[in-house]
Formats: sequence, C-alpha cells, structure tokens
Amino acid sequence: MRRRTLDRLFGSAGSLLGLALFLTLAALTANAQNPSAPDKEMDRVQELISQSKKDAEQFSKAGGKPGDANNPNLKWAADLWQYREKHPASPATVAATVEALRLLNRADRLSELQAKTDTLKPDDAAWKQVFYVLMSAASKSKDYSYLISKAEVLAQASSDREIKAQARFNIGDAYWRTKDNDRARKAFQTVVTAYPGTEYAEAAEGNLREIEFLNLGQPAPEFARKTISGDPISLAGFKGKVVVLKFWGTY
Amino acid sequence: MEEVPLLKELYAKYLDQGVAVVGISLDDELKPLQEMVANKGMSWPQIHDADQSLVKLFNVRGTPTYYLLDREGKIVAKDIPMKKLGGAIDELLKK
Repeated sequence: MRRRTLDRLFGSAGSLLGLALFLTLAALTANAQNPSAPDKEMDRVQELISQSKKDAEQFSKAGGKPGDANNPNLKWAADLWQYREKHPASPATVAATVEALRLLNRADRLSELQAKTDTLKPDDAAWKQVFYVLMSAASKSKDYSYLISKAEVLAQASSDREIKAQARFNIGDAYWRTKDNDRARKAFQTVVTAYPGTEYAEAAEGNLREIEFLNLGQPAPEFARKTISGDPISLAGFKGKVVVLKFWGTY
Repeated sequence: MEEVPLLKELYAKYLDQGVAVVGISLDDELKPLQEMVANKGMSWPQIHDADQSLVKLFNVRGTPTYYLLDREGKIVAKDIPMKKLGGAIDELLKK
C-alpha cells in the first residue's frame, strides 16, 4: 500500500504505466456504457500525445537536441495548449495541459514553461501533476527559485487542501535538494501539522526522519528480520563488511 | 529489474572481498518474490518487507533504491545509481 503512496508522490515508471492502463481501462469502460463526447475528447488528446511521442522519438533518433529550434515538442506543446484554451472544461484539459508543459520541459524551454504555468489559476485541477513538471525542470536547471515562489503562492491562494499540502511539501523538497535543511525542515513540519492524514504529511514525516537520522556519515539504523528462506538477518551481523542494501520489487 | 544481471555481476565480483548484498523487497505478495529470486538465480539474502517497516526506517521513496554502508555500518551513499555502485565499493575497499 505504502508503495502506491510513494509512487503517487514520486511518479515512478511503474505508476505511469499503471496510470496509462487505468486511463485505457477507464476509457474502455466508459465507452462501452456511453459513447459520448467526453470520451471522444479524451481520445483526441491521447491521439495528440501519442503522435507527439512518435515525433519526439524520431527527432531524437535523427540526432536532434532538446534545444533545437525544430524540436517537434514545440509544435505539439502549442497544439495541446491550444486545446486547453479552446476547451477549458473538457475532461481532457488536464491531460493536455500537463503534457504541453512536459513537452516544453523536455525541449528545455523553461521560460515558456514558466509563462504558461503562470496562467494557471490556484485551483486548476492540473496542479497536482504540474508540480512534477516544475520539480523536474528545477532539478535539471538546478534552479528551484521559480518552483518555490510558485508553490508559496499556491500554499496561500489555493482553496484545495490537497494542492496546499502538495505546494508546502514541494517547498520543503526544493529546499532540501538545495541543502537548505532548516527551511526544508520547517516546510515539512508545516505539512505534518497543517495537513494531517494526507499522503504529503506521511511523506513529510519520512523526510524529517531522513534529515535527522539518515545523513551520509551517520550510522545506518539497526534492524533484525528474517530472510525469505527463514534465516535471521541483522545489520549488526554484517559488522566489518561493506553492505549494499537494495530496496526493490518484482513489479 | 533490468539491473538484476548487473547486481549479480557485482555480487559475484565482490563476494570474497567482504562485501554483502541484501535485497529488501517491497512486494505485497511473497510468491512472485520467491519465484523471481529462484528464476534469476539471485543468491544474496532477501527480506520481504511486507509491513513496509524497513521502507519507513530508511525513508525509501521509490524503487530501486540503494544504500551503501561502510565496514562500520555508516551510510556512505544513498540513492546511488547502479552504475556508480562498483566504483563506490572500490573506494571503500581501498580504505
């Protein structure tokens, strides 16, 4: 269960695949019951997105670089954004919005990404995923200032508790990544106290523990368990050895 | 999953040099874990972290995540990519 929470927060490849499956299944189910406009809209946007992926693959195979003027991401980002503007209330608007911003990020068009992000209202349903795009852009450029200022605004102005919690969490994460642990701690503590019960509060608690106890040079926390073969295993048992812990899953 | 062959290589290479590998699985079910461990011939110990207590203890935020500990059990690296693991181990063994 926890893994799913983690994946929701951090968007692993696994969860993207899961999301794609879910969307497909949801679309199929909905289509079977009611072959009406909303599903057509979803299909239309999914079609744009899959076309953009094909173009991006070809472009990169042909040696194209993200910043090139003829990067097809720019055209598709413009098309998807135009969809958003023409259909502000479509069920596919969030998908179009997020994908447009993602394409701009992949094309290293950070100022355009920011300009478009600036037009989103504090309660826009796209925010939840837009934060991932902004975090990705920030970590690429090692400049978290835009993300932090945007998140500060949302933490105040949004009326959606989840968005506020996520905004505050992102502020903590951004400061943490820039090694400003005092500000990171403060933001994470706010998430824990102001938004209990949210996935962000749980993740913030974990990060607070990590900032406290899991720094490089600190002794790893001791544990004793059994292996899947039934043998006892503990960290203390490996004293004198270099140890690799690999957290993984078969999924 | 595509990292399993690399980790197998690394495990074999350092087995006799005082390096231990421990797999900690986040799987919900035990069976697929047992099957994969057997099928892929992963011979290092595996813990099934079914209650996610180790995930919490080490604040693991996604998979795969590697922690590298020195001979005294101190954290030397976390979230280190697989391809840098060998070099980091070599550094530790020199000490």
